[in-house]
Amino acid sequence: MAIDDDMLMAFADGELDQIGRARVERAIAGDPDLRARLEQQQRLRATLAAHYGPAIDEEVPEHLRAMLATNVVAFAPTRRARQPWQTFAALAASLVVGLALGRTVLTPAGGPIGVENGALIARGPLADALETQLASAQAPQSATRIGLSFAAADGRLCRTFEGASISGLACRADSGWQLMMTAAGAGGARPDYRQAGGANPLVAQAAQELMAGEALDADAERRARDSGWRRSGASR
Amino acid sequence: MTYFCLLVDETAESIRFLLKDWRRLLQAFERELLTLLPRLRRFARALARDAADADDVVQVALERALKARDQWAPGTRLDSWMMRIVRNCWIDEMRSRARRARTFVPEEEGLTVGSGAHREVEIRAEMHAVDKAMNSLSPEQREVIALVLVEGLAYREAADLLDIPIGTLTSRLTRGRQALAQMLEAA
Repeated sequence: MAIDDDMLMAFADGELDQIGRARVERAIAGDPDLRARLEQQQRLRATLAAHYGPAIDEEVPEHLRAMLATNVVAFAPTRRARQPWQTFAALAASLVVGLALGRTVLTPAGGPIGVENGALIARGPLADALETQLASAQAPQSATRIGLSFAAADGRLCRTFEGASISGLACRADSGWQLMMTAAGAGGARPDYRQAGGANPLVAQAAQELMAGEALDADAERRARDSGWRRSGASR
Repeated sequence: MTYFCLLVDETAESIRFLLKDWRRLLQAFERELLTLLPRLRRFARALARDAADADDVVQVALERALKARDQWAPGTRLDSWMMRIVRNCWIDEMRSRARRARTFVPEEEGLTVGSGAHREVEIRAEMHAVDKAMNSLSPEQREVIALVLVEGLAYREAADLLDIPIGTLTSRLTRGRQALAQMLEAA
């Protein structure tokens, strides 16, 4: 069958499935003219890459970088002396939130998060998943998916996770899995947008910052689990 | 009662924790934009007339993104969101340039059109063959070439970003490509 320009273009762009690729490859083998047209496509790609590619390595002009830097500073915490009414307001606010939290998160049968010594601790199925589930061997239907497991700079072992309602990053403390950060869960996220290390780029970024060295591979992950996620003193 | 006070205390503590977390998220937005900058500049350069114009477009796009940060849903891809903004800023810039040209050129015609045209020729002569070829494409062709051939997006991603059907994307891509190949092979 004849290969039209659209199909040749899709081939050059890596958009064809296996059957389509095989068909184009077969046609090219017996048709020098078709081959020449494909090579023209590839030359064009190479020309554009050579022309625009170096822009990536150029230093970003200071005025563009500064636009983002000043904003980072603007959001840094500012310490001001607290007015008495602020303390009162904060107390009142935390009372309200506390009651709400008490009703939802802290109920014994309840949600995936509890509070212990001022830290957020994973509870219930989330804690179980963090404690026992291996990223390398998890059932596709499991409610929580483990992304990366890695050692933090302080030696604690940490894992990223993703569930329907919450995703985040937890590190193993003595009292359990302490949540270092949380973000929205996968919810109805499109599965083809999933990335390695968790769908949420913020979680991936937090993991990136905390990570010392490389993420654990399947073997190291299994060993860490079997030894109860103890701090990795001399693992590196 | 003791338990209750403890609870309040713990809650306040966890709220502080969450607030810190939230602040970190806000900063993460800027940090992530910062890491995207080189790519956005490359994308803008494939769209705009020259490197200086491209950086102007990126600057306007950053301003817009920082103002509209609430509209970005965390967990979705920031790069696609940002590239869409860059592309819209470029379209706006082209439109306002066209408007300016319509408004001002007739008044100056008698005096400057000769030297202006001359200058335009000079600019074109200085331009790299690839820039020249890209500039001669229609905006619709240029943006699909920039997304797929320069930025390496999949057809589906590029079509979603531009809000066009995938068939429209591939036909623009085919025509843009043919035009580019002709101009560059002839040069």
